[in-house]
Amino acid sequence: MPARLKTFDAGRYSIFIILVVVFAAASLLSENFLNPDNLFNVVRQVAVITILAYGAMTLIIGGMIDLSAGAVMAFAGVASVMLYKSSGSLLLAVLMGVAVGVACNLVNAFLVATLRTPAFIVTLGMMLMARGAVLELTQGQNVLQLGDFILIGQGNLNGWLPIPVLILVVVTAFIWYLMNQTRYGRAVYAVGGNEEAARAAGIAVERVKYKAFLVNGVLVGLAGVIFMARVNAGLPNAGIGYELQAITAPIIGGTSFSGGVGGVFGTLAGALIVGILGNIMNLIGIGSYVQQIVMGLIIVVAVAYDVFSKRGKAKTTILKNPAKGEGTTPPAAGQGAEPAVGAGRRA
Amino acid sequence: MTTFTRRRFIALGATGAGALTLAACSVSTGTPGTAGSEAPREQKDSYRVAYIARAQADSFAAWLANEMQAEAANYPKLKLEVFDGQADDEVENKLIENAVANRFDAVIIQANNGEAQKPYIQQVVDANIVTITTNPRVEGINGANSIDANPYDQGAVVAKAALEQVPQDASVVVLKGPAGNFHSTQRREAWEKEFFAQRPDVKIVAEDIANWNKDEALTLMEDWSLANAKIDAIVSMNDNMASGALEAVKSKSAFRDILAYGVDGTPEATLLVQSGTMTATSLQNAQELAKLNMKAVNDLLTGVVTEVNDNIGNPLITEKNADEYVELYRKAGLIKS
Repeated sequence: MPARLKTFDAGRYSIFIILVVVFAAASLLSENFLNPDNLFNVVRQVAVITILAYGAMTLIIGGMIDLSAGAVMAFAGVASVMLYKSSGSLLLAVLMGVAVGVACNLVNAFLVATLRTPAFIVTLGMMLMARGAVLELTQGQNVLQLGDFILIGQGNLNGWLPIPVLILVVVTAFIWYLMNQTRYGRAVYAVGGNEEAARAAGIAVERVKYKAFLVNGVLVGLAGVIFMARVNAGLPNAGIGYELQAITAPIIGGTSFSGGVGGVFGTLAGALIVGILGNIMNLIGIGSYVQQIVMGLIIVVAVAYDVFSKRGKAKTTILKNPAKGEGTTPPAAGQGAEPAVGAGRRA
Repeated sequence: MTTFTRRRFIALGATGAGALTLAACSVSTGTPGTAGSEAPREQKDSYRVAYIARAQADSFAAWLANEMQAEAANYPKLKLEVFDGQADDEVENKLIENAVANRFDAVIIQANNGEAQKPYIQQVVDANIVTITTNPRVEGINGANSIDANPYDQGAVVAKAALEQVPQDASVVVLKGPAGNFHSTQRREAWEKEFFAQRPDVKIVAEDIANWNKDEALTLMEDWSLANAKIDAIVSMNDNMASGALEAVKSKSAFRDILAYGVDGTPEATLLVQSGTMTATSLQNAQELAKLNMKAVNDLLTGVVTEVNDNIGNPLITEKNADEYVELYRKAGLIKS
């Protein structure tokens, strides 16, 4: 057996194997699935949730959580739509959406990082505040007649590449670079792995948390703009339950709730698995009741398989003799910035 | 083997006595000390009225709440307070209990789920408080009044219009509201009896729940339009879902002539009907609902009437009369330009 195949780490790539299996099964179940229009359809449908999921992933890796993402997304999107309607400037409108997302998340950051309030409680409060703010802003009414604003959610570049897909690709590349190629990315893993060890190693933990919320704010604001453009309306009740969907994708993709572990491509794979499942069940006419059962089942099975395969690998590597170069004992996550990064990061 | 000590014997005896005492008492639900009386209603200079809205995040419910407040201003004796049920049975039930405990003179309830709210609405009636259920009417409560739009009629008026418009051997998709929702099931039943039973040639190629939401309907229709090359009509139980489905196919030339039917007559749907994008909808007029509710509560509190059970109309909106309704929304400030 070739050495490369012998050392193939199936556990590390389990989520991608599951994605390939789901993709292959979907293509067998419906002849329409592999239609290029449908494949773009799937990516367009998951774009908003995936962008939110990258924000959630950054926070979870850093040991935090955001329950306000859905409500802040609605607030940012509606504020963006309203500014567009009054100014006619797409650029200003997008900046407004991002600014609202960032402002809400900086409030979260101040309470979490500076005042050391639990992120769960803080973001729960922000969820209520943001939802109340957008309802007050619109008096509960949809904002209509968006004009060219919808290009952000419905337009195609060169007539074939949907703008939300293009934005998703750019955001994916940016988040991958941020988390894998910068000192800041390594610091997020270190803080999430073991906050006290990271502090002892000289990492400015509060600053790392502020920046994680900042990244989340930009992404949530952007997601709000795309969402409203996609549905061609400013919907104050948009995004209800999206915070949980945004958390689901990174968790399916291997991000650990305990922090310090996770990766961009795992999150993308998690979002695509959920998106493909929803798409194929609609294509073959499975009703929403059964869809929920299947979706829940597959999420549980995927995560259980992922955890099980990693557990098997951990046992194997501990039993092997490091001196022979056959494997190493996995370093404890968070024991210093670099080991934590090495132990936890998944691309 | 268990040994019966004196202490255990006393404990068992006390437990048995307690159980017998509880069994001898009658158990009832409701806020303690609020049992009503049959005495005539006291005439006052002003009356406190609670309006418990289903959810301020629901655009129709928010419109209705705004119209209730505007209409209440025409009745100097009425002081209306609006509460948000947040589309949550637990929240709505607590708000109803609070209204009883705070001794409002009248409570208007827009139920989130009629069956879940029924015992709590009964408490309001039992506390001798004027009780009105609205949008939807909650049936089976003695002493409660109601103002509603009949959801069956709302669906039926659109379904009857579709009988002549939907082509022979058409393929249609159906979008439904939340599972078990009274308005959704009644509207769907109307479509079944008034349209599908009369047109066996029409085939439903896809049907699912989109929870009244535009974005969920958009996603469903994106997928359905790929799985089914021919869809002649969208049959939706509300306008939000119809407009979401239309959004999914508006740039696809194969669906240029698709028909779309909704219910509610929202500002967005009225504009779509006016532009010829949507085929028809029936109006559920929040202004009319608010007017009838405020008149009813005023008449019931001042003793002009003792019982009110009324329905608003369900006018059909088509391209021919859409201008009239767009103008209505412009005056209400719900369409800006």
